[in-house]
Amino acid sequence: MTERRTLMDGIWRILLFLWAVSILFPVIWILYQSVRTNPEFFQDIWALPTDIKWSNYSEAWNSYDIGQSLLNTLYYVGVALVLGTFLTTLNAYALTRMEFKGRKLIWGLIMLSLFLPGINALVPQYILMKSLNLTNSLSGLIILDSFGENVFFLMLLGGFMSSLPKDLEESAHMDGATIFQTFWRVMVPLSTPGIVTVAIFKFLGLYNNFLGPFIYLGDPSKYTIGVNMYQANMKMQYTSDWVTMFAGVMIVMVPSIIFYVLFQKRIMEGATMGAMKG
Amino acid sequence: MNADSGVSARKRTGLAKSRRQKTVFLIIAIAPSLLGYILFTLYPNVMSVYYSLLNWDGLSHAEFVGFDNYVNMVKDEFVWRALYHNLLYMIVVPALIVFISLLLAHLLSNKSYKENAFYKVIFFFTNVLSTVVVALLWSFIFDGSFGLLNGFLEIFGMNMNDFYWLGDTRTAIWALVLPMVWGGVGLYVVIFINAMSAIPKSIYEAAYLEGARPMTILFRITIPLIRGVIRVCVVFVILGSLKGFEIIMILTNGGPEGSTDVIGLYMFNLAFGKEYHNYGYASAIGMLLFVILVGAKLIIDKVYPEENVEF
Repeated sequence: MTERRTLMDGIWRILLFLWAVSILFPVIWILYQSVRTNPEFFQDIWALPTDIKWSNYSEAWNSYDIGQSLLNTLYYVGVALVLGTFLTTLNAYALTRMEFKGRKLIWGLIMLSLFLPGINALVPQYILMKSLNLTNSLSGLIILDSFGENVFFLMLLGGFMSSLPKDLEESAHMDGATIFQTFWRVMVPLSTPGIVTVAIFKFLGLYNNFLGPFIYLGDPSKYTIGVNMYQANMKMQYTSDWVTMFAGVMIVMVPSIIFYVLFQKRIMEGATMGAMKG
Repeated sequence: MNADSGVSARKRTGLAKSRRQKTVFLIIAIAPSLLGYILFTLYPNVMSVYYSLLNWDGLSHAEFVGFDNYVNMVKDEFVWRALYHNLLYMIVVPALIVFISLLLAHLLSNKSYKENAFYKVIFFFTNVLSTVVVALLWSFIFDGSFGLLNGFLEIFGMNMNDFYWLGDTRTAIWALVLPMVWGGVGLYVVIFINAMSAIPKSIYEAAYLEGARPMTILFRITIPLIRGVIRVCVVFVILGSLKGFEIIMILTNGGPEGSTDVIGLYMFNLAFGKEYHNYGYASAIGMLLFVILVGAKLIIDKVYPEENVEF
C-alpha cells in the first residue's frame, strides 16, 4: 500500500515535531543554562554559554550535599530493589505454581488492594511507622517498600512463571532436588526475563518515589535525591541561584536518562502490560 | 515381604520429609510479603476508619468525637473548593491526555514517516522522569522573570511583564494542567500504539480502497476497535487525577490563596503540613476520598461497560 503525501501530512509531521520539541527543548535548555553564570542568565535566557562553566556542577554537588543524598538514594533504592525483587519472586512462585490450602483466600486478600486507593491510609501508616520506630530512617523506608503485595508485579511475574512447562518441578524432584534447589536453580534462571522486568519497574518506582521519602525522612542528612532537590528549590526562592539549581536538576536526571537508554524497550513493553492488567 | 515394607517405610518418611519441606518453603515464600501487606496496607486502611472518629493532633491525648469530623467536613468550604478543583482536573486532564495520545499514536502507527521510531522513544521519556523533576522543569518554564514560556511569548511580541503563571489565582489552576498532561501522554501513546498494531491491516486497506480519509479511519475504525483499551486508560487517568497531588504540591502547594488546592493535598497538609496537625480530620477527608474513588470506579464501570472486540 503506497500512501499519498498530502498537505495534511505536512501538518501532522509538524505536530509530531512540536510535541517532541516540547519534551526535548526544556531539557536541553536547562543543560546549557547549567553551564552559564547567573548574571549571564538573568540578562538573556536564550543566549548560549560564552564559556562553559562546569564549576556549577561542583557548586551544586557541594552546596546541596548531593553526594550524601546520592549515597542515601543508592542505599534505599539498592537494598529495597534487591530485597523486594527477591521477595516478589518467591511470592509469585508460591502463589502461581504451588498448590496449598488457603491459596484462594490469599489471592482474594491481595486483590482487595486494587480497591484500596492508599491515600486514606497515609496517616495511620505514618502513626504505625512511628510506633515501630521506623520513621526518619532509610532502613525503615526500605522495610515499608519491600514487604508487601503488588498485584501488577505478581501478575507480571506469575504470568511468566505459569507459562513455563508444567513438569519442571516434578523432574527436578525426581532428580532428588529439594524445593529450595528447584526454586533457586530451575525457576529463577528460567524466569530471569520476567524478574528483570519486575526489577526495572521497581527501580523506576523507588528512584522516582517522592511522597514516601518526603513523609518519612525528616533529617536533611537522610534525604534522597528527589527530596533534596525539592528542598533545594524551596530555598532557591530566597537565594536566586538559578544556574546551580539547573546543574542540580541535570544531576538528578542523569540516572533516569541512562536507565531509559539501557532498558527503553523493556520499559515500554512492561508499561503496556501493566496498564492492561491493572 | 520384609524388604518390601522397608521400602514403603522409607518412601513414607521421604514423603513426610518433602511435605514438611514444602510447608517450610511456603511459609518462607509467602509470609514476609503477606504479613507486610497486612501490616502496612490492610491494617492502616482499617485504622483510617477509626482515626476519622477522633480529634487528635498526634501529640496530646486522642479524643473520641464520633462523626464530628464528618459534620465539620460538610461545612468546610475548603473541602468543597478542593473538590471543585478535583472535578475540573478530572474532566480536563483525562480528556486532553486521551485525545492527544490517541492522535499521536494514530500518526505514529499509521503513517510511515521516517522519524516515527525516534518520536516514540522521545514521547515516552517524560514517563521515566520523577514527579519532582517534571515539576521543577515546569517551574522553570512558568517563572515570571526568567521562565521559558514568557521568553517564548516575548519572541512573538507579547510582553508579559514578568507575569508569574503560577502566582495568579486566575491562571495557576490551568497552568498546572500542562505538566500533568505533558508528563502523562507518553505512556498512553505507547499503549495505544500497541493496541492499534493488533488491528488487522486488511481492515485499513479495505477502508483506503473505499476512499476513507485518515481522520475518518481514526474515528470510525481505529477508536471503536480499541475501545476496551481506551476505557482502561480513561479509568486509570481519572482515578489518578482524583488522588494525585504531588505535582501541585511541589509547584504551588495549593496556592495562591488556595486556588489550586485539591482534596488529596488538603488532606496531606492537614496531616503532614508545616502548621498544625489534625490526624482525625485528615483521616475523615481520607475516608471521603476513599468513597469518591471507589464510587467513581463503580460509576465508570456502569456507564462504560467492559466489552471485548472481536476481529
